[in-house]
Amino acid sequence: MMFRKRIFLFIMLLLMTVMLGGCDNTTQQPPVPLQNENPQQQAAPIEGGTVTPSSVGQDTMKMTVYYSTKDALNLVGEQYVVPKNTHPAQTAMELLVAGTKNPELISVVPAGTKLRNISVKEHIAYVDFSDQLVKNNKGGSASEILLVASIVNTLTEFHDIKKVQILVEGKKIDTISGHMDIGEPLSRSEKIIKK
Amino acid sequence: MLNLRRFRSIFLSLLLFMMFFVPQISMAETLDNNVPDASPAASVPILKSAISLPMAGARATNQLNSARWLVHKDAVEGTSKLRLVIDTSDPVIVSSTLDGNGPQLVLDIKGAVVGDVDDSITLDGQIAEKVRFIKKDGNNSQAVVDLPAMIDDGDYKVFTLKSDTANKKSFRVVVDINKPVPKVVYNFTPGLRNKVIVIDPGHGGSDPGAIGPNKVQEKTVTLAVAQKVKAMLENAGAKVLMTRQTDVDVYGPNASAVDELKARTIVANNNKADVFVSIHINAFSNPTVGGTATYYYQKSNYDALLANCIQDGLVATGGLQDRGTYSAGFYVIKRTTMPSILAELGFISNPAEEKLLSTYQFQQQMAQGIVQGLDKFFSQAAKRGGGL
Repeated sequence: MMFRKRIFLFIMLLLMTVMLGGCDNTTQQPPVPLQNENPQQQAAPIEGGTVTPSSVGQDTMKMTVYYSTKDALNLVGEQYVVPKNTHPAQTAMELLVAGTKNPELISVVPAGTKLRNISVKEHIAYVDFSDQLVKNNKGGSASEILLVASIVNTLTEFHDIKKVQILVEGKKIDTISGHMDIGEPLSRSEKIIKK
Repeated sequence: MLNLRRFRSIFLSLLLFMMFFVPQISMAETLDNNVPDASPAASVPILKSAISLPMAGARATNQLNSARWLVHKDAVEGTSKLRLVIDTSDPVIVSSTLDGNGPQLVLDIKGAVVGDVDDSITLDGQIAEKVRFIKKDGNNSQAVVDLPAMIDDGDYKVFTLKSDTANKKSFRVVVDINKPVPKVVYNFTPGLRNKVIVIDPGHGGSDPGAIGPNKVQEKTVTLAVAQKVKAMLENAGAKVLMTRQTDVDVYGPNASAVDELKARTIVANNNKADVFVSIHINAFSNPTVGGTATYYYQKSNYDALLANCIQDGLVATGGLQDRGTYSAGFYVIKRTTMPSILAELGFISNPAEEKLLSTYQFQQQMAQGIVQGLDKFFSQAAKRGGGL
């Protein structure tokens, strides 16, 4: 009787430990596939880093989020170090939506846009935004290109994301402001990144 | 019995607990093995017929273990490229040639035998048909990629990647093949006379397009410039078709964005236009950004030429900052069959340019630039003699 009780207590404690691990991000080691495998690209200097805590330890992960240059011609990757969690792609999108604090860069996600959901299936990320993505868009090809490329390039930084399907209010859309054709999953665009 | 009940209640509360956490856990992306790595594909060293990596003593155990592929569709340019990745246990030396029997890309893989990889893998069918792995001898193998049509040297890249233990990647041979530009023969003649030119004033009706700080609307400026282009081209003897003549939705009120864009391409495609010119005004959140840019989608060997000619014309007559020409996957230039461009005359978000764009004189200058560009295009295209 006592023995069985102990076993139950033990199992319960074990389960609690595992789950709390998922909560406070200290005990869990989720896969954080952030290494870029293109050696040339890895060597490229990344400008505009803001968050650089002194130690990048086991409890943190690095991620790159793309914002526009002031002249609306290119994207620049800004590096972030954030506490480890089980949903790095969602974290990266939240950072993109929140925008940059770097005065040299410009956030391209329209004001008021919210990230509704993100899921990854067969290497395609389905990223769903609220309709402010379209309604609050200022128009213009330059804005649309930078917006689409910043979403796609930020997500394809993750090893297991090869393509990105942009959704608005849960639905596929063909275009954001009437120029780009975004009805299908898109892959990374290297050319727009400032080297 | 008591314990059993307690166990059940603990179990149920744990289950409830888990329901809160599982959705987050499912966010953790998983890897399957059927798709290539390395989305960042551009700017990789070109190693055609070249040595890749030092061979760590070509052991007989080095094998082609698996192969996978993916069609990469550039988010900005809309262009497609097929990436084939072959896993090898150890480094190899790869050389490649295009002169197989028929349209083929042949890779000679030195230092690895055909291992567990499938003998033949069907590819996308548009960029490449299939890849076959062939035993050469006890130490070397060959990969033959069958193509739907012959490609040029510049249309593909072959390179190798080192193993990456952190991400559980073995040594790899990577083949990138660009979707070839269709070889369409055009017989352009110089001059504007009798040319069928479609002018597309961007946005309209329920869609104002971008709006400037002083409330000037993109749709108004694009229509005003388009009407001036039409008048000038008709004076020169061209036949001009407008996707809209007034402030209306082209497809119809409350049309979906894609129906609206499709309606514009239909005007050009159904009338066998020589060229398609879409007129737009740019916008960006930083009000100091300004200038003219022209976009094309490379679906023939004339799209970039048309973009360059019109961009030069616009910069010459308008005098705004020259932002250059770019390849972009814009709907109307992608889905029209003839050489097409989308010109962004200036930035309505820039107060100075907004003011200029709303004046009759500047609109006239912009129209002049487009007409000059078209004239230059036809004379230069004619010099190419309809060649590719």
